Amino acid sequence: MAKTTFAIGGVHPDDSKLARACAIEVLPLPSVVYVSMAQHLGAPAKPVVSVGDKVLTGQVIAEPGGFISAFVHSPASGTVKAIAPFKDLAGREVPHIIIDVEGDEWVEGVDLSDTLITELPDREVILDRVKACGVVGLGGATFPTHVKLNPAPGSKADCLILNGAECEPYLTSDYRIMLERTKEILVGAALMQKALGGCRTVIGIEENKPEAIAAMRSALASLPYSGIEILPLKKKYPQGGEKQIIQAVMHREVGSGALPISVGAVVQNVGTSLAVYEAVQKNKPLITNILTVTGNCLPVEKQHNYLFRIGMPLSYIAEYAGGIPKGAAKIVSGGPMMGRAISNMEAATVKGTSSILYLSEESTRRKLESNCIRCGRCAEACPMGLEPFLLRRLWKAGDMEALEANAVQDCIECGCCLYSCPACIPLLDHIRQAKGAVLGAIRARAAAAKAAAEANQKNS
Amino acid sequence: MNPIIIWTVVILAGLGLVLALVLFLVARRFRVEEDPRIDLVEKTLPGANCGGCGYAGCHAFADSAVKASDLSAHYCPVGGNDVMQKVSDILGFKMEAKAPQVAVVRCNGSCTARPVINEYDGAASCRVKAALYAGDTACPFGCLGCGDCVAACEFGALSMDPATGLPVVDEAKCVACGKCVAACPKSLIELRNKGPRGIRVFVACRNTDKGPVARKACSNACIGCGLCVKACAHDAITLENNLAYVDFTKCKLCRKCVAACPTGAVHGVNFPKEVNNG
Repeated sequence: MAKTTFAIGGVHPDDSKLARACAIEVLPLPSVVYVSMAQHLGAPAKPVVSVGDKVLTGQVIAEPGGFISAFVHSPASGTVKAIAPFKDLAGREVPHIIIDVEGDEWVEGVDLSDTLITELPDREVILDRVKACGVVGLGGATFPTHVKLNPAPGSKADCLILNGAECEPYLTSDYRIMLERTKEILVGAALMQKALGGCRTVIGIEENKPEAIAAMRSALASLPYSGIEILPLKKKYPQGGEKQIIQAVMHREVGSGALPISVGAVVQNVGTSLAVYEAVQKNKPLITNILTVTGNCLPVEKQHNYLFRIGMPLSYIAEYAGGIPKGAAKIVSGGPMMGRAISNMEAATVKGTSSILYLSEESTRRKLESNCIRCGRCAEACPMGLEPFLLRRLWKAGDMEALEANAVQDCIECGCCLYSCPACIPLLDHIRQAKGAVLGAIRARAAAAKAAAEANQKNS
Repeated sequence: MNPIIIWTVVILAGLGLVLALVLFLVARRFRVEEDPRIDLVEKTLPGANCGGCGYAGCHAFADSAVKASDLSAHYCPVGGNDVMQKVSDILGFKMEAKAPQVAVVRCNGSCTARPVINEYDGAASCRVKAALYAGDTACPFGCLGCGDCVAACEFGALSMDPATGLPVVDEAKCVACGKCVAACPKSLIELRNKGPRGIRVFVACRNTDKGPVARKACSNACIGCGLCVKACAHDAITLENNLAYVDFTKCKLCRKCVAACPTGAVHGVNFPKEVNNG
């Protein structure tokens, strides 16, 4: 088996894919859904319904609030109860549309059958439907997909990479759809390939998922598409990082501050590919996704992979799955490396929710921090080639220029530095702050330069 | 006498003279003209270089003050009115006296009043904590308790009270430089007029949630009931977003609001006989 991976850094946490054998189950609808207006990267969506309106499943309830934004659709049929702030999983208030669920009556024009449609429509139709169905990247960043599939004039995609690495421990949602919705994912890949002008398409899957690789290979042989290949990748975290998988697959390096398209790459998650298939071929908006209920203090028979609707409260899902297990010290949404601890279980699922992860006291408790001994393990582990120990010191000293010169803005927040630090220093916590501050300064500079250029133009 | 010693002395003395001449000429040639008043002003300043005045240290303050046409934009919070009087005398300006200020912590969500609903075990920094989530209590506005303000204070005027989990200002040491104000990610610290003999009234809460929500999160929270506004005869209290605010320029320190507040969110401090210091 060919083995390829990204060149520098990375760590090898135990993959703990405990829920890998659990087939996807469909969650029933709760009595109330809470649909967030900030489910994607970019501007929050603007509600287009008002309190008291009757809505159907799949009906548009909010429209994009900017260029980088996405449509939001109703996950159930019922009555809009309120449009009000509601706390997200970090306890912060975000505008939500709250709908009293009365049933599951879909809007017209949605194909709810299981028939596989393999004929590909025109490029414009693909892009329109992806946008209209509110598809966003389901690999974690929830970047609006239609923006990514439509590169700026002058840039051309050489390679579409379908990200099936799922390098985060515990998560099995991508793995399950690669097994259960194999053909749909491949049709989705072909659709995106067509949207990008027929480039080479590579599906990168880590070698710890041999069943997914085999299933993908046999399904590909039965489909009439060309230019799609399956590439097994050597297991290493964070393989699923955009810049990392580009390096693993294409052996090209995306420059500091540059977008993947600058080296001719477009990366999409396999989950996004499935969403694109459903949007384009079935006209089905993105209101469902797969979520793994797992953890190291949950017996295997209580672990599940669920097909959920957006807006379901996490507490409802946890209750349905059998309640919060004894010994769970921390509940995380997302993987254990990059996920966020949930402080509010009443929060609702969003398009990008990927797991409810119960971790034991022993595995999550931070150890006592001690002094940096300059061992350099963090610098070895950093997949972006940064020096985390230095960045932390510069941040403490408040040297913004040096932080920018040392490329703190390139940090992908993968957590490898923190994972590898023998002194248990919360490196990432500080670096994330520094990154935010430096990115803010860069943006302010760009805005000032733009304003100055405009003023110049007016004067001349 | 040994000629070697004589020659050594002569050569060294000659070398010294020549180098002294060189240094003298260089100093003449490259002399930097500086207003002598800058030095005078700098010497009257406390020399803490805290930046509380908004300038990068005492020298920058002196330099800017000498060039300014009046002292409206210059005030040394550490030196206070005494130092500013001296600076004004040197520069020949009329002194504008300012009321002395002090840092005030506008949160009284103590451990008992504001129960912890989840446990935070991340980096011990309020900024990091605030960036991660709403906090370990149900009040997303309150003190996070990691002591960023204590670390920011260069005068040792702040400390964390282990009993309440809140920072305490030592009024004798606080110079109102404003570093803690900038350090708090929840904007809980405000510089307020110290008041006569340190007597002052303020609302020790920043929670803008609706009354029942705020009260559920913290029994000391301002619930926006407006009783203090009604009690105030001097129009000093405003109620906005379910939160009361006492304007210290209008407050006459009558303490009617302190008595009226049902949750003890309005604090009156340093009164000869404390009536209600929730």
